[in-house]
Order: sequence, then C-alpha cells, then structure tokens
Amino acid sequence: MPGRELDSILEGRRSQPHQLIEVLQDVQENFGYLPEDAIRAVSRALGVPLTEVYGVASFYKAFSLKPRGKNVITICTGTACHVRGARLLLNQATGQLGVAPGEMTEDGMFTIEHVNCLGACALGPVVTENGSCHHHMAPGKLRKLITSLNGKGEATHA
Amino acid sequence: MIPYVTLSIDGALIKAAKGTSVLDVAIEYGICIPHLCHVPNLSDLGACRLCIVEHVVNGRSKVTTSCTLRVREGMVIRSNTERIRHLRRNIAELLVAQAPNSRAIQDIAVRCGVKKVRYPFRNENCVLCGRCVRVCSEMWQAKAIGFVGRGKDRKVDTPFSQPSEACKRCGTCIDLCPMTITPCDGPMKPGEEYLCGKCESQMMEANSSPDQCIWCDLGEGFQCGRY
Repeated sequence: MPGRELDSILEGRRSQPHQLIEVLQDVQENFGYLPEDAIRAVSRALGVPLTEVYGVASFYKAFSLKPRGKNVITICTGTACHVRGARLLLNQATGQLGVAPGEMTEDGMFTIEHVNCLGACALGPVVTENGSCHHHMAPGKLRKLITSLNGKGEATHA
Repeated sequence: MIPYVTLSIDGALIKAAKGTSVLDVAIEYGICIPHLCHVPNLSDLGACRLCIVEHVVNGRSKVTTSCTLRVREGMVIRSNTERIRHLRRNIAELLVAQAPNSRAIQDIAVRCGVKKVRYPFRNENCVLCGRCVRVCSEMWQAKAIGFVGRGKDRKVDTPFSQPSEACKRCGTCIDLCPMTITPCDGPMKPGEEYLCGKCESQMMEANSSPDQCIWCDLGEGFQCGRY
C-alpha cells in the first residue's frame, strides 16, 4: 500500500469528519477502487468510525470496494437505453470478455459495469469508456471498441 | 423546570414534556401503539413503520410515524382510526412475509389484524429494524456493526464482513433482535412458512375492551417486558 499517496490525499484534512466523501473520491480516483487498508487509514485519520466509512463506501455506486480493471466500461441500462437495446450491449460485453458485470477480467484490463442512467437519454444507448462517452452504441461498435482497447493495452505492454 | 405541552391522542388530553416523541408519550399513558423498531432511550429511526398515526393539521390528517414525531402544543393525534388500522395491517403483513420465523413478528401481525398473507414468504433473517445497530453505537459507543449497502442489498454487517475489533462482545444486539425468539411451534423450514395466528382468540377481548393492553400477553415479554 503506497502510503505516500494516501498521505498527500489526507494532508490538511485530518480530524475533519465532514470531508469523508471528498477523501474517498480522491482515494478512488488515485487507486481506481477503495482498498481495505486505505479505508482503515481514512477512518483513523478523519476520526470517523470504520463502520460509518464502510457504510458510506458501500452505499454509493460511485465507490468500488473491489479492484477495477484498467478500462472501465459502463453500460447505461436506464429506461431509454434499455428500450434501444442496452441488454444486447451488456450481453456482447460480458460474452466477449467472459466476466459478469461488476467484475474484473483476469488480466486486469477490463471491468464492465452497468448504471441506471447517465442522463444522456437522447443519445442512447450510451456506453462510457474510462469517462468518455460513446453514443448510439450497437453490439458491433462495442465489439470494435473493446478490441481496439485490448490492442492498445497489449501494445503498451510489449 | 421542564416545559410541558398539551396534546390530544385519540381524544384524550395529555400533558407531555417538550421534546419527547408521540410514541413515548402514548406508551407512558397506556395508549397502545404497535411498534417494533423503537427501543427506549435510543434514537428513533422510523424503520418499521408500524407506529404510524394520523396527525391532524388544519382539519387535514397526515400519516406519519409517531416515534419520529415530536410533541407540540395543541397537537391532535389519532392512533386507531380505520385508515390507520388498514395501513398498519398492510405493513405488518409485509413484515411477516419478510420474516415469518419470529414469534415477535408473528405476534405483531396478529395484533395488527393480519388474517392472511398475500405476499410470498421470504424467510429472511432480518427486517432491518436497526435495533442492534443503534444499541451498538448509542448505548455501548462501540459502532461494531452498521448498515452496509443500499436498497434491496442493504444489510447489517461489520466492516469487510470480518469480526470487528470494536466489538465488546456484550451481546446486546442479539438481546434486542426480534428474530431471536422462535415461533411457538419451533423454527419454520424454508418453503413451509405460515402465518401462525394462534393468539387470534385474544384479539376478541382486545377489541371489546380497547382500554386494556394485551400487548404483554401477546408479545409475551417482547414489547413490554423485554424491550
């Protein structure tokens, strides 16, 4: 656990319980998820009981308690996207990568998530890939997107 | 000197200390409002919704939980109207469908007039009343357990589902849990749940003399004796 990054996040915010969500957001941004050690450290530093930190971390969908892949693919399954075939996209992604939603592929490259609405219903079905938004998705387009991301990952690995 | 307010519950004029909840005052004066998640001297959550009452404001009545309603001067509360009984019966029906394997909850269902359960039995081990969570944090200052997750995935758990270092092994969470009292005929097997309803004969007496509390007989030490 790299303690220095955590120290810089907690700098100037120790013993301030009201900063809890901001600190957790920064930890999530830094590590990609909320590691157990980090949650314990945050609880100690802010003076918030561990149960409460864990309760907050498990309550919000924006926080992940499990490690996430390098590429996070978020598929919108809200009403508008559902009507336009989000189920097909989810099937395509889970089938191609062989993991259930919310889990990481074995090589640590991908995580598939589904959310209930991204607020871009007119552009549906919507898929976001590491924060950038792809509109009017189709299973074919999603397959190409995943393949290209996979290719990029392997290129940088080699 | 404690400031007092006067309010009326079911037509009875009652003097109550400022800052107390309507449910506490009603229990103190022997007005029986069914409740499950309320524990004396702990904060109130309004989780079980059984203690709903009608609060009449300007001739219109609002339904709200009496445990989270603070007393105010000139308040008019009705705790036993047709509307409230109907709503409460529904809530008790949902509770007993969620967790039939508890004498406390079976008794509450009978007390609220549930004759038949229209929902599928789930046989869960928890109704999320939050008694254990509140006693752990407020009485013992331990905060070893808490609510985890959200919506239908909400449950009571320790952080990371591991034994908590903060736990003092006092066992109060188990003492207060409504699920620890098994039904009179023993625990129910999954798939064989039913509404017990054996105490229903006592309801006749209760309806004919509403000023008499049958809570103690029916809850058999859960509500009145064993808080």
